[in-house]
Amino acid sequence: MKLLAVALSLLLPPVISSAQNNADTVAKRPMAMQLNVGTQGIGLAFNYEVINHLSFRAGINAIPLKANDVFKISGVNSTSNVSANFYNIHFLADYTPFENQEWFRLVGGLAYFLKAEGNARIIPSDDYKYGDLTLTEEQIGYVDLTVDWKGLAPYIGIGLLRNFPKNKFNVNLDFGTYYLTKPDADIVGTGILSGNSSQSEQLRDNIKNYRWLPILQVNFNYKF
Amino acid sequence: MRAIKAGVIVLILSFLACNNPTENIKLVIDTDIIKYTAMIQVTDAQTGSQAPGNASIAVVSSNAADVYEISGKKDIKLVQGMVTIGLHPNTVPTTPITVTVEVAAPGYVTQRKNIIFNTEVKQQIVAIGISKIGNTAPPIVTPPPLTYQEVSLNFTGRCPNRADVEIRPSVYVSFRKNGSTEGFKYLGYMDKGNISTNLLALGETYNFQIVYGGESYTVTQKIEQTSYNLSIDMTAACNF
Repeated sequence: MKLLAVALSLLLPPVISSAQNNADTVAKRPMAMQLNVGTQGIGLAFNYEVINHLSFRAGINAIPLKANDVFKISGVNSTSNVSANFYNIHFLADYTPFENQEWFRLVGGLAYFLKAEGNARIIPSDDYKYGDLTLTEEQIGYVDLTVDWKGLAPYIGIGLLRNFPKNKFNVNLDFGTYYLTKPDADIVGTGILSGNSSQSEQLRDNIKNYRWLPILQVNFNYKF
Repeated sequence: MRAIKAGVIVLILSFLACNNPTENIKLVIDTDIIKYTAMIQVTDAQTGSQAPGNASIAVVSSNAADVYEISGKKDIKLVQGMVTIGLHPNTVPTTPITVTVEVAAPGYVTQRKNIIFNTEVKQQIVAIGISKIGNTAPPIVTPPPLTYQEVSLNFTGRCPNRADVEIRPSVYVSFRKNGSTEGFKYLGYMDKGNISTNLLALGETYNFQIVYGGESYTVTQKIEQTSYNLSIDMTAACNF
């Protein structure tokens, strides 16, 4: 019966809300908009309490980041351009297990990563000699490493501080992790480095267990 | 701010995994810098054996400055009668370029040969037979080699001083039967480490030779199947 109520409240929140208004016998369920910032970037979510102690969040997050020179190949002087692009839509359930401990929540759910890529371009930075020839940048080339985790990912974690504001605003926290799909990886080289694509299989093997995406997130909530 | 961004990326990409993502990944270097090449094989014209060890070669045409050994060196010398020369990587022979080489050896008649580079032929073999002074016998005619089933060889060049580097050689390969006292014969051009040939007999053991950067590198393999991965030291390709 409880499950049915949850399902109905998910599908027909406005109707139920309206019925509640009309009947005025049940307190209005809180709902809030959430702006979040953390390791999965910046995002927006809609949070709705479907029954006591249980609420659902649906939202989107994006993290387009770029940085230079954070990746090196031993023995080769190089510059690197590294980027991470993660875009997801997620659906999470927040459960407050202890009546008097509203600051603590268990969180679980799913996300679909529309894009989940890490890229690194490594460019040798020295003048390279081939015998008595000095190679041009084009002749030397560069190496691109790409790792892709696109797909469905379950999430598990905990939430700290109140889920919904007592008044209009509050801040709370999420700590958890996504378990991403097994990553695909490729190495593509140009110039005299074009043979490095042969190392793709080794890279795939090395990162096959790189599937935990840790989430540390601050949420700014507005209740309406 | 840059440090924070880098930290976030490292955190995301590290994903709480323990192993190093670049573990056992090697840096692969190609050697196909010089695109238009000619392998010169100098033999005794009357016996067909390899040129004497003190034979020398020089580029004597006016475009000598544009000609390099395949390793990019200006020093061009014969190793067991062989050397590969080529045009500077920025030189494209859209109109044919003629390079003249001169081979000299004590007791032999000095011989010149024109080698023509054009865009149609990126690799070519140039045989130069030199005769002893006073020897008027006609040159020996070498019969064409026997052919067998196709065998694929994939060569990986090793750098003895750099275990994290692999060379993917684009060079000419020669061969001979293991234990033979004959000179090495031309097998073919290895493109980015790969060569397919029908000159190898099943059940035979062969020495394979690369002449590169004034050095000779060899590896031995018995042919019992149609594909092999072979490693060969290429120290001269590791100086970068």
